[in-house]
Amino acid sequence: MHKGVAKTLIILAGAFAVSALPAQDLSNYTSFTVDGKTVQFHGFVSEGFAYSNDNNYLTMDTSQGSFFTDGGVNVSSQLTDRFRVGAQIYDRDIGHLTEWHPTLDWAVADYRFKEWFGIRAGKVKTALGLFNETQDMESVHTWALLPQSVYPLDLRSRNLSHTGADIYGQIGLRCAGSLDYTFYGGKRPNDTRDGIYYGWASLGYPNTAFTGKMAGTDLRWNTPVTGLMLGGSYAAIEDKYNFIDIANGPVPVAGTLTSTTKWIASAYGDYSTGRWRFNGEYRRNFDKDWQVDPDPGQTDAWWYSDKGWFVSAVYQISKRLEVGTYHSRYYFDVHSSPIPTTHYIRDQVVTLHYMPTRYLSVKLEAHIMDGTGDIWASHGFYEVDNPNGLKPTTNMLVLRAGWNF
Amino acid sequence: MKHTMIFFAAAALLFAAGSVRAADIKVIANDSVQASSVTADELKRVFLLTRNSLEDGSHAEPVLLKGGAAHEAFLREYLGKTDSALQTYYRSLVFTGKASMPKTVGTDAEVVSFVVKTKGAIGYISSAAIAPGTRTLEVK
Repeated sequence: MHKGVAKTLIILAGAFAVSALPAQDLSNYTSFTVDGKTVQFHGFVSEGFAYSNDNNYLTMDTSQGSFFTDGGVNVSSQLTDRFRVGAQIYDRDIGHLTEWHPTLDWAVADYRFKEWFGIRAGKVKTALGLFNETQDMESVHTWALLPQSVYPLDLRSRNLSHTGADIYGQIGLRCAGSLDYTFYGGKRPNDTRDGIYYGWASLGYPNTAFTGKMAGTDLRWNTPVTGLMLGGSYAAIEDKYNFIDIANGPVPVAGTLTSTTKWIASAYGDYSTGRWRFNGEYRRNFDKDWQVDPDPGQTDAWWYSDKGWFVSAVYQISKRLEVGTYHSRYYFDVHSSPIPTTHYIRDQVVTLHYMPTRYLSVKLEAHIMDGTGDIWASHGFYEVDNPNGLKPTTNMLVLRAGWNF
Repeated sequence: MKHTMIFFAAAALLFAAGSVRAADIKVIANDSVQASSVTADELKRVFLLTRNSLEDGSHAEPVLLKGGAAHEAFLREYLGKTDSALQTYYRSLVFTGKASMPKTVGTDAEVVSFVVKTKGAIGYISSAAIAPGTRTLEVK
């Protein structure tokens, strides 16, 4: 605990000292010129502390108080008026997740032919819902933890990015506003250190590989009503899990699960007026027709479905201070699981967000949670982290400080 | 009746004050920008980084002030965002690989200096500031 406190204070002190520099001084250190081309580099780091009254959450030992850290650094350059390239490295240490194994977050070559048509390729963040692309960016959100019903910290890797290509653009609709569109396709990432691997291993089915393909679209309508945006996303996904069954006998058996029908859909909205900002999202996941090896051709009738939604409100008290609240709900379809659990997680959150400088933020957040979801749909509550059994409610306090440049 | 007159007088003063603030800024551009005017929608898209050229094909690169009355007026009048909302928006683009952070400087003089030497640069300064070597764009 003392080591973590010291680390947090050092990070905050250093960040505050650097952030106190005038903005133009900071920008002098985040760009340089190579062969006449401006190269920018930017980064972010956050340190958090979570304490819960009963259940341990998000693979952390929150009932005793747990620190968590994440950060990233990127470099990019606009090589011509239409062509830019860049890449970002990301790392984190959150309970048993990632544990300081840096990954390539994105690496993109982006050519914008016209305002209404561009292509980006490489490892690209996936446009899905309000916050999928920015869920790791603590500095762009009011919350210390995004609504976990839709953006679970332990399961972020599943839909975070794809290695492939996007076509995108903004189309003017005259008096009807404008439409931002993205169509994408590519290979899904395989993060062996996220919650799926952790959860399946704890149940006796350790994954040896998880991958797949995805293709989808995201459409955002910037409506004629000032401050109002409405959007929707849809992704068709093929998942493939290689696992070892050690739960049903003395001899481990290798198996493969392949989904033949899987999709994710989201509907969302965002509205800003004066000092107020409101947003919300509804997300639905659906899997069907799993094929289980080593009996090729056999298709189990087992299907999986869950849904989540949240609504939020934020009020900007002053230039440096805002307060917000959200209500988040997650439901796992009871027909999919033979294990009786609560099948849901409800979370009421209040957050105070203070920004002493343009580059520094501090958040104090309270969570009042009811329910623990389902063991087959890891959503923050893992039985392996709670050997005395999961309690029905969880109250948690989160303090998170972040710095970006 | 008396209270009604006071109310309308106050409202008129507030309206006039708002109009004066919006008129206290001017938009300037590098000589490479051919247009003498720009629509408010074009200007918004340039500063929200969704386009890097004007309708006439001129390359456009925004430069912003860090703060101050002209900065607040520009954001309010043309972008419809507060400074913190705009910075959040820029960070969401930079940290997802969609854009580079636009140039930000501290004073009107630095805006003018950047606009003069940078092809396609478009910035805003207080209307009283002198901007030699730049062209003023009418915003329609």
